[in-house]
Amino acid sequence: MREMSRIVRTVSHIMFPFVIMFGFYLVVHGHLTPGGGFQGGAIIASGLALLIVAYSRSRVKKVVKKEVLTTIESSGLLMFIGLAFLGIGATFFYNFLANSGIIFGDSVAYGINPGNLNTAGTLPLMSIAVGLEVLAGLSIIILMLAIGSLAGEGSR
Amino acid sequence: MIFEMANTIILIIIILTSILAVKFKDLLASVIALGLVSLLLSLEFYILQAPDVAIAEAGVGAALTTAIYVFAVRGTQRLEEEE
Amino acid sequence: MRRFALVALMIVVSFLFFGMTIMHPIGKPILQDMDNYFITHAQEETGANNVVTSIVFDYRGFDTLGEATVLFAAVSGVAMLFGRRIRA
Repeated sequence: MREMSRIVRTVSHIMFPFVIMFGFYLVVHGHLTPGGGFQGGAIIASGLALLIVAYSRSRVKKVVKKEVLTTIESSGLLMFIGLAFLGIGATFFYNFLANSGIIFGDSVAYGINPGNLNTAGTLPLMSIAVGLEVLAGLSIIILMLAIGSLAGEGSR
Repeated sequence: MIFEMANTIILIIIILTSILAVKFKDLLASVIALGLVSLLLSLEFYILQAPDVAIAEAGVGAALTTAIYVFAVRGTQRLEEEE
Repeated sequence: MRRFALVALMIVVSFLFFGMTIMHPIGKPILQDMDNYFITHAQEETGANNVVTSIVFDYRGFDTLGEATVLFAAVSGVAMLFGRRIRA
């Protein structure tokens, strides 16, 4: 695949850190502001798609590796299921960390409040797990389509 | 009042843009029109007070689907054939 | 054929307009018991300020698990479809 023009490459180079930062903000603050795992992962994957569309394949291949992405995706899904199984003492998907005082365990004030990052029990951990899974999965789809469409172009 | 007006205007622009997406002969321009439809749809979701769905629509519909269609157009051919 | 398509289009459009007249107003659901429970109890039960996230990841966790599984299956399908072409 050819590289796109210098304008596209420069704009994507400038935009990429901000898109990634916004995506990680959405994932981590999922229990306080609108967003969550799926939305943040989709935003991060769109940032990676920006790089893949703008740059050539050989330069992207050094940064984004397929094996790393598949590992991240599988470990995200396993972490999600494992967190769900950890609360099996009460029920599946039981929120055993909420209001317990351990990690993410502060009790929240009732009513309208600005919010505390260290609350909500297993919700932020599950959000991070789903975010990892979604970002890796959608990036794999984009990467595979990029390389696959290029392979069809080369054989013709 | 102003939100209802914005609602109606955005829906009309969505319909016009999707008609354009069907009418274009250049498939890359058609893909960009589809991305514009998704972006306006996410704005509509935000006006209807569903920010979660708006973020998901903007991320998946406007960015990732457009990238996938761009790769599909690049893999096949750019101009639509006359029948 | 063209006249049949026109008649079908008019029937569908008139049905849509009829549905618009009896549509429920946005933001006023009929059954509100579940909504009221979530709005009053979600903050103290899960400790999250965002009620939508507490529903997605806690009360309705099975839905999120299914969604993640569907995404995993789709990614596996794409990887199997294109992985062989890349290596060849």
